[in-house]
Amino acid sequence: MEIIKSLSIGALFGIGLYQLLRRNVIRSAIGLVIISNAVNLFLLSIGAYDGVVEAYAKAVGQRSDALPQALILTAIVISLGGFAFVLALLYVIAARYRTGDSDEVKGLSH
Amino acid sequence: MLAFPVLACLIGASAGAAFTFIPRIRYLPSRALGWLLAIAPTTAFIAIASQFPRVAAGEALTWRIPWLPALGVEFAFYLDGLSALFGLIITGIGALVLIYAGYYFTPKHADEKSEVGSRERASHAISTPDSTLLKTDAHFFLYVLLFMTSMLGLVLAGDVITLFLFWEGTSITSFLLIAYKTKDEEARSGAFKALFVTGGGGIALLAGLLFASAISGSTDLTAILRSGDALRNNAWYPVMLGLIAFGAFTKSAQAPFHFWLPKAMAAPTPASAYLHSATMVKAGIYLMARLHPALGNTPMWFWLLIVTGGATMLLGAIIGLRQSDLKGMLAYSTVSQLGALMMLIGEEAPSAFKALAIGVLAHALYKGALFMIAGIVDHETGTRDLRRLGNLWRLMPWTFLVCSIAALSMAGLPPLFGFLAKETLLAAELEDVLPRLTRIVLPAITVLTGALMLAQAASLTLDTFVTKPGTGWPASRLDPNDECSGHDLHAHEAPAGMLLGPAVLAALSLIITVFQPEIIVSLLAGAATAAYGAKVKVSLELFHGINSPLILSGIAITLGVVLFALRSPLRGIPAVPVLNINLIYDGVLRGLDRAADLVTRTQAGRIRIYLAVILTALFALVIAFGGLWRVFDSTLLPNLSRRLFDEPFSVQTALRAFGLLLAVAASFVSIIIRRDLLAIIALGSSGLAVAVVIALEPSPDVALVQAVVDTLTLVVLVLALSRLPRAQRARAEGLNGAGGSGRLRNALLAIAGGAMVTVLCLYAFASRPRTSLVTPYYEQNAKPLTGAADIVGAIVVDFRGFDTLIEITVFSMAGIGVFSLLRYAMKKRETAGLPAEGEIEPDLATLLQRPLPPTITGIDGVRTSPFIHALAYVVLPLAFVLAVVQMVYGHDQPGDGFTAGVTLSLGVGFWYVVFGYDETKCRLRFLRPGLLIGAGILTVMAGSIAPVFLGGGFFSPFDFGAALGLPLPKGFYISTSFLFEVAICLAVLGAAIFIIDTLGHPERDLE
Repeated sequence: MEIIKSLSIGALFGIGLYQLLRRNVIRSAIGLVIISNAVNLFLLSIGAYDGVVEAYAKAVGQRSDALPQALILTAIVISLGGFAFVLALLYVIAARYRTGDSDEVKGLSH
Repeated sequence: MLAFPVLACLIGASAGAAFTFIPRIRYLPSRALGWLLAIAPTTAFIAIASQFPRVAAGEALTWRIPWLPALGVEFAFYLDGLSALFGLIITGIGALVLIYAGYYFTPKHADEKSEVGSRERASHAISTPDSTLLKTDAHFFLYVLLFMTSMLGLVLAGDVITLFLFWEGTSITSFLLIAYKTKDEEARSGAFKALFVTGGGGIALLAGLLFASAISGSTDLTAILRSGDALRNNAWYPVMLGLIAFGAFTKSAQAPFHFWLPKAMAAPTPASAYLHSATMVKAGIYLMARLHPALGNTPMWFWLLIVTGGATMLLGAIIGLRQSDLKGMLAYSTVSQLGALMMLIGEEAPSAFKALAIGVLAHALYKGALFMIAGIVDHETGTRDLRRLGNLWRLMPWTFLVCSIAALSMAGLPPLFGFLAKETLLAAELEDVLPRLTRIVLPAITVLTGALMLAQAASLTLDTFVTKPGTGWPASRLDPNDECSGHDLHAHEAPAGMLLGPAVLAALSLIITVFQPEIIVSLLAGAATAAYGAKVKVSLELFHGINSPLILSGIAITLGVVLFALRSPLRGIPAVPVLNINLIYDGVLRGLDRAADLVTRTQAGRIRIYLAVILTALFALVIAFGGLWRVFDSTLLPNLSRRLFDEPFSVQTALRAFGLLLAVAASFVSIIIRRDLLAIIALGSSGLAVAVVIALEPSPDVALVQAVVDTLTLVVLVLALSRLPRAQRARAEGLNGAGGSGRLRNALLAIAGGAMVTVLCLYAFASRPRTSLVTPYYEQNAKPLTGAADIVGAIVVDFRGFDTLIEITVFSMAGIGVFSLLRYAMKKRETAGLPAEGEIEPDLATLLQRPLPPTITGIDGVRTSPFIHALAYVVLPLAFVLAVVQMVYGHDQPGDGFTAGVTLSLGVGFWYVVFGYDETKCRLRFLRPGLLIGAGILTVMAGSIAPVFLGGGFFSPFDFGAALGLPLPKGFYISTSFLFEVAICLAVLGAAIFIIDTLGHPERDLE
């Protein structure tokens, strides 16, 4: 399972990277989401306990590790906020340069 | 007990500096400013002198202020004989220099503005008093006083970190003073040179001092001085000494780092007299003398200092004779003298430290005076070129007299102090403790140096004041155009105030040896004792009978006279093309520029290239230093593989694998699909697949949040997409299929990144701990302490409540950020007068009055079907109910405030999609995002502070319902956690509405 997980997380990360590097800014935004998904999955999987039942006080059996879950719960919400902000930035850039092509954003070249 | 003098020194000097900011003082005439500000160093001088009796008795005064107690670093001060000698030189000469500078910066004839007095004045002409700071010379006084503060702090420091701080202060103020004539290219490059060399030395010094404090266990100077044996026997001793010596050598212009000092002569002459001869360049001497008891008395110390010092001494003297610039000649003779002092510290004999103390004072006195004379000559004649100067004694008799006395001291002739310095130097070199070879070589080069010094002293006095212009120079080195210009130098005697400084210093050179005041003797003895680490006797007797030093001195004098007579042919000898340090320095700087140029090539101005470069570098770093190969260690690998094959097949496992596969496949589809909208939907399915995997973990809370957040992400992305103008969108979409080399590069980078993350995951999984200290605590205490059966929920709103508070604040900030960013952009376009088809933001009142349009158009102006309308009316109330349920039962069941907030926002977002922006705004007027965020965050605050008044702590759980005895249904508690859930929900809702609202704002005017 761990090997499958590692491969999947790596694949998600790679796909996210590829999207991030494309010229179409919408695709870059998509890439960002995929990467944060990959990272959240990774964090979730490195908990100390591989649970069989959910982390509830009344549950019987090996519970899943509650700590990384609480942490990524926070991470998911924060990444949504960050993502929205990135979108706003992309939008401002698109409006400023009148393009959705990141290669046409020339403000940085001299 | 040292508090008073230190405060007097530091505050005095820095208060003086601060005074220059007061306009009324700043625009005083320079002369008055000089006299006024001289009060500061005078106070400090008196403060140090007042402690003198105790210091002379061998006491070391200390004063400590805690600074970084965790690191054991203190702001500590330390006053003993050595500090006192330097402190008195700094403050005494400082006062004279300030007075002198006042005259120096006053034009030669203040009423005849047409006449250019000196080159400094030319670029800093006085202008109207209300002009900027740059135009007054208060700037100069400010820098000098700041320098004085740093220099005093340096010699009074009792902690090596304190010392380093002030050491850097002197480098920086020296930089400012050298570059004082900012318009002068040479001044700027000279200043940078000095800063690079001394600053580089400063970094080495810091490293060396940290070594020393690490070995001795304290940064305190007294502790370091006490642990000499530990320092010397440590294996790191050579490195430590090398670093410290590098710092000292660069500061004190020892060969081969001496090259910055002559270039520093671009500074105004008062600064050269003060910093670059009397005080700052002696900081290295002070440091080595200070650390001698701790680090000295080893073969490495001996050879390092003797060889460097000796070479510097001879080199400086030889080059000095060839200089035609008065200040240049003085600079090289300073280099030479600094070499002699450094050499003396290397020697392990009381007589060497006696010679050191005498040499430091003698040099400060005569060289300070000569620099000021050079400044006077420059000020009065407009040139410092020895080839053009001459015959001035008639015009400037007093200057000539003062110059002669100081020059006699420099030449080392009796009965002046300089003679004594040379005698003691020679005596120290003949000590039996020295190896035989050095007992011959050192006196030989000292005699040669002494002779060259005499020739220079004679040359700079006689060639300036007595001989005709051009005497003493081979015809080839004279400037033919200037042949006769020496005759028309309109020189006048300098004002008395300007002569005061050099006269006092020159007179001291004479008085000290003639009257041999007891106080000077004990001062020098105290300094020598502190530097040597054992008692050193000092006497100022000039004549000890006919002995070897006297004979050698005689030889030096004779040789010097011969050299002076032959100076013209000697200067005619072409310079030996030795390795030019300046060329190396320039080469290094050019190389740096080239390297910087190469690095900036990677910044092509295209975002994707930047990103690719950053990622490549990141991967390279992780692969190089991350230790990823350890995955294949024999200890880790079995950990993994066993788990893969031993795991029994279960439905759960199969589902997980399926979920992961789905997530990867869906994201992959988002790459290959050409239409952006479909790609976004693929992304949504990928996120839902991730939610499935999370749910199978099993962790229902996170899965729920992931599912709703993923949906909201989808909505936000679609909104953003719809906001982009259609033509832009089409053009961007056209890029998706575009190939080219960029695609290959991206693919390679993505594959590399993916592979790296895979290996990283394997490593992490194989080596993760199988027990946790924290989780069991949460599991056991969630129910008893917080009353929540849902452990994850308990962690979020209770155990790590503060974390969550900050988190919702960040999320709210993101919402507000999106809002303000886009509102600003919209406003800007409005004002730019671009074609706007519709109103950007209709006033709410006009919206309400407007009749409903016959067909409601949703987002992007597309008509929506009535069926969807009906659905929207159902969905939003349902979302409210769901949200309330999630909040109420969240602590026992899956779901929490986040989920509730996001669920609500989804309902609202649906309205935006169905009814369009204006309509939704109009119907859901109660949704005021700013208000929601404020209410949410204030609720958390209130809920977390309330328990403090009810007997709990900040953020401690408290059940208000139970406390009030309210009859509540089973499983519902009005507790702090419940309040928190509500608050989270409100804040998340507010921020999400900000985001949806702003991104869903109709935008028809982009194209």
